[in-house]
Amino acid sequence: MATENAYLLFDVPGGRLAFGDGDLDIWAEHLTWCYRMMGIPDGATIAVQDFGSSPISFLGSSLLMPGLQRGVAERIDGRFICLDASSERVTLTPALLAQLAVDVLVIRQDVIELLCAELHKKGFAELALRAMKTIVVFGDEPPAFNPARLLQPWRHLMHLESALLLAPQCMSCECFHLREGFYEVDGRIIRNLRLAAPDCNYDLPRGELLPPSHCAAGIRDWCIGWSPRERGI
Amino acid sequence: MRDTTSSGARNDAIETLSGADLTAWQTDRLRQLASHAYREVPFYRELWDRAGVEPGRLRSLEDFARFPTISKDDLVRAGNVWTNPQQGSVAFSTRGTSGAPLLVWLSAEEEEAYIRPTMRGFRWAGFQSGMTALLMSPVWHRLAACEAHAIARLGGRCAFFWGSMGSEYTDSFLHTLSSERPEFITTTAPFLLSLIRRNTGATTRPHELFNGVRSVVVVGLPLTPRMREFLRDRLQVEDVFERGGTQEGAATDECQWHTAPHVHEDVCYLEVVDDAGIHVAPGLRGRLIVTKLTTAGSIFVRYDTGDIAAFAPGQCACGCGFRRLKIYGRPESSVLVGDRRITAYDVRMCVEEDPALVGRNVLLIQEANARAGILTVAVEGNAHDPAKLQARLRERLGVATAHMVWLGDLRVNWGFRQVLDGREIRLPRS
Repeated sequence: MATENAYLLFDVPGGRLAFGDGDLDIWAEHLTWCYRMMGIPDGATIAVQDFGSSPISFLGSSLLMPGLQRGVAERIDGRFICLDASSERVTLTPALLAQLAVDVLVIRQDVIELLCAELHKKGFAELALRAMKTIVVFGDEPPAFNPARLLQPWRHLMHLESALLLAPQCMSCECFHLREGFYEVDGRIIRNLRLAAPDCNYDLPRGELLPPSHCAAGIRDWCIGWSPRERGI
Repeated sequence: MRDTTSSGARNDAIETLSGADLTAWQTDRLRQLASHAYREVPFYRELWDRAGVEPGRLRSLEDFARFPTISKDDLVRAGNVWTNPQQGSVAFSTRGTSGAPLLVWLSAEEEEAYIRPTMRGFRWAGFQSGMTALLMSPVWHRLAACEAHAIARLGGRCAFFWGSMGSEYTDSFLHTLSSERPEFITTTAPFLLSLIRRNTGATTRPHELFNGVRSVVVVGLPLTPRMREFLRDRLQVEDVFERGGTQEGAATDECQWHTAPHVHEDVCYLEVVDDAGIHVAPGLRGRLIVTKLTTAGSIFVRYDTGDIAAFAPGQCACGCGFRRLKIYGRPESSVLVGDRRITAYDVRMCVEEDPALVGRNVLLIQEANARAGILTVAVEGNAHDPAKLQARLRERLGVATAHMVWLGDLRVNWGFRQVLDGREIRLPRS
């Protein structure tokens, strides 16, 4: 991905992402693939509680970014709800979820406790029991499994911002797929094949890397698996 | 693909329409909008049937003024009955400062309509092709989503910092500012003020980081003239522009004359009314009523924002025929003292007459008994000429008594909240 003609520049934790014409659609297609791997059907209403400078937000729709022909909403013929991840906005989410039945709530791991507290505080606990599915986005820390949490995570999405590493938790094998053609694995280094940024390699600190043929849902994908202990169980 | 053609330099024909031509154009748009809303949105059909108004017979702005106003509570209660079939697939939330937040939908057609005025506003603020703009998060606000599109079409580069608009993200903003070196910035005034306060006394002064920035466009707080000077001075940027807009469709931008933001009359029709719902003359304050002129997205027809606003009288020297509107605040950024509603803006105007007090956070304290006629104002830092300030507040704002609270080292977040309940915080009275 050439960056010399880039006109969309995003500072992200640990790095910088730069995109030119046509670049964003590659990643919107990939994010859509992630959602489909996690079982999100076409026509879904997806609410995303993340920062606007996160690809999970700005790839949500072509309305959010110039140069993006089709974002996730357009690709699944669905709807996209912008919920900023600042604490002020998280406090509003229970009232918004009460107004609109969303199919999927995608939320950063670092604000999920705040949202759960707000749901409790505002007496909206029953919202968590609706058909809404919760996808928890985490970085390189294995997701904690907390049975007491109000919004029981249904799937997890691994997201390393600086490497633009987006790996969904598979419905079949429960592991995190590194999509063939987007990422390659060398030892414990995960290399982004579609990003020209110099520091887009990611050294996986923990977890088990499972070679291709591990899962029929993505027979050529490498997968990342975490033992129950590493997942905090 | 980016459009870097002449759109950036071209003035829209609509900007220079005569008053009569603009009125005729808007009346036609309002009739189309009302007909669409009546046909497609049950909420409006039921509302207008009850009120006995007919979109098909709308021939003038006076006819339109007979349509009932609506509130956010009406729309929250209406739920799906308010749905527009063309409302689009992306939703944003209002901030919920006055009750429950409301989801507002945006469609591609509506966004296209709003990108043009965004480009116009940025052009007025000095944006030129080839510049880099450091922008607000596109998911923060419906109008913020239009900003990157406008910059790209004007031939610029868009930079985004990590995080959001809270004061905890100022370091992240500064990091992007120093690495991308933008010439143009859009942000909120409270965010900038937080940044200045936090970096006062730091090794690297704010203005060193803003080196090369030509224009800063701010939303979220009505700028007083001295606040604008303060921002220009501290950041050492060429100019600071006030931008306004609501999720419900109001869109305003200042030109270089800074007399008051111009209303983008091609996308919204704004009214200012008194408590009886009658239009007030330019120069007089009233409540802001918003109508969005597109039939796409969520439909807002005569939506009472609760904002306290006034049209500026006369014409602007810039030659643009669009009216100018200053939004002074909202009920939640003002207090009732006796029978007078006093906004935080009004108080800041008085406080900032003393140069030593410019740039300090000023908060209004809600007194338990509004009828007592006491205005209580909290100001950051130590007391400075309090007797004169109290006299100014009494004289300018017409209140019987003005109490001052000097906050000393206590720092209250610069935020959109400008009124505190006296019971929320233990304040030293002076």
